Amino acid sequence: MNLASKSIDWSQLWYPGRKTPFTREELALAGGDSPSPTLIAVASVNIAFIAFVVLLLAPPAQTGRLTGMLVGLTVAASALAARLWVNPWRKPLLRAMLGLALVMAVMAGLLRYRIPAQSERQAVSMILAACGALVPMLLWFLTLWRAHQLEARLREHNERTKAIEMARRLATAQVEPHFLFNTLASLQHWVQTKDDRAAPLLAALTGYLRATLPLFDRPLLAAGTELQAVRHYLQVMQARLGSRLAWQIDVEPAAEPALLPPGLLLTLVENAIEHGVEPQLRGGHITLTGRMADGVVRFAVSDDGAGLAAGWRQGTGLANIRERLALAGGAAAGFTLNARPEGGCRAEIHLPYRAEATT
Amino acid sequence: MTTALVADDEEAPREQLLAALRQAWPELQIVATADNGVDAWDAFLEHEPDLCFLDIRMPGLSGIDVARRIGGKAPVVFATAYGDHALAAFDAGAVDYLLKPVEAERLAQAIERLRARLQPAAPSNGELQALLERLATTQARRAPLSVLQASVGREVRLIRCDEVIYFESDARYTRVVHEGGDALIRTPLKELLAQLDEQLFWQVHRSVIVNHRHVAAAVRVDEGHMHLTLRGRPETLPVSRHFQGLFKGQ
Repeated sequence: MNLASKSIDWSQLWYPGRKTPFTREELALAGGDSPSPTLIAVASVNIAFIAFVVLLLAPPAQTGRLTGMLVGLTVAASALAARLWVNPWRKPLLRAMLGLALVMAVMAGLLRYRIPAQSERQAVSMILAACGALVPMLLWFLTLWRAHQLEARLREHNERTKAIEMARRLATAQVEPHFLFNTLASLQHWVQTKDDRAAPLLAALTGYLRATLPLFDRPLLAAGTELQAVRHYLQVMQARLGSRLAWQIDVEPAAEPALLPPGLLLTLVENAIEHGVEPQLRGGHITLTGRMADGVVRFAVSDDGAGLAAGWRQGTGLANIRERLALAGGAAAGFTLNARPEGGCRAEIHLPYRAEATT
Repeated sequence: MTTALVADDEEAPREQLLAALRQAWPELQIVATADNGVDAWDAFLEHEPDLCFLDIRMPGLSGIDVARRIGGKAPVVFATAYGDHALAAFDAGAVDYLLKPVEAERLAQAIERLRARLQPAAPSNGELQALLERLATTQARRAPLSVLQASVGREVRLIRCDEVIYFESDARYTRVVHEGGDALIRTPLKELLAQLDEQLFWQVHRSVIVNHRHVAAAVRVDEGHMHLTLRGRPETLPVSRHFQGLFKGQ
């Protein structure tokens, strides 16, 4: 329902609720409960009280007949209420109303023939008409209330799901706290001192976070998409390290649609910064290349740092890279990390080319 | 007047800490700033500040390496971003640390403690030294340099590090005195220090590193002055005050 709309929505006149029925999934999610014992007790007490008053006012001769009718009405109303409880929507409500009207009409017809006395007939008719008006109203309220309850539950469920999903993505995106807080430290200082470097750094950090969060949604991701995150990451590091970092991304357009396990390129670049550039007194240079040849894509990250230390052994990070590559490209995929003859390291991944469109 | 050294490899966090210090402790005189561990250590030897603020992750020497070399001669406060495993050790309360970006309130607290420690009757910190030694061993460390390459005229001479007798700072160069003669290399002494085998090479002066196997004796000239004599060589090497503790007899 759009409250901001200026025109009157006449279809809302007799049922101001949602216009689409709850789907089976929604009902299963939010409407699986039965009415609470308290609710049933309250309803029963009310019905008993009304019945007591009605029978007190009714002509003594008609008490038996009226009791039968009221019991019938209560049973019918309970059955309808139970159905509306399970599926509170305007269609079942309309059907219930029509059904009730039919029952009332039949009862009115019976009254005409079975109660000869004019005054008694009038009294019983009045009572039945009052009850007959009360029941649809109660059903109407029940439906609206129940529909609102289900909607609130669905909304709450959606929000909770979103929060959990966000937490999961943040957790898997592995935005390194050290990276984040060091960047924030620079940002804070530049904002405080009104330094012009603050705005581009904030833009790069935002771009990085935005690009990183959806990275891990899918089992495979086009290299071009991940390169966006890599660029933003390098921009952030560039702002922080200044002249100590130089970088270059040189990826063939043909290699950009290639599907990769998400986060690999970013991990390789992060490693190059952490081990190849940051420990160097004079900083360093990072090159990311991407090439397509003979159905195989190769991405390589090179730095000009100190190379591999003697006695270097593969850590869990690299084992993880190998595993994910094997999962995506089988035996044809691979990862190598070598010391470059001219100094520094070169990490390369290669796997059979597969593009978005073919999957 | 209290003097201090501030070292961080990134400009903005360093400037931020400096600004926060100026605000929270206006009388403090910053005698040196450094953007890597090598310069931080060199600046410490040059200026002998009363206290040091050191980033943990720095190129050359880490903040922990520098603190270990300072060896309790001055209180150290580490500055670090979240996520340094070393933080867990500091939680024991042995060393103070600041989280970046530095908050004014936390800095004031650290300054309070520093002032107490600057009192003459400050407790000894053998415990701290042990902690720093332990932390230093957990750091990823590169194998020490084994060969030096010195250009002499048209040739490049290879000098095995274990044949070096001592290194001496010579303007922008480093003089390498080894068993087969001497040579000049371009790497500054302070950078070389971070790459040498600590077991073999001892720094004894801001501008001298000696291979301890060639040291014959340490001679105390007078209060505050000391020099080393070498095996089979006529020259002596100065030992500055900071390093005289290396030679105290047993």
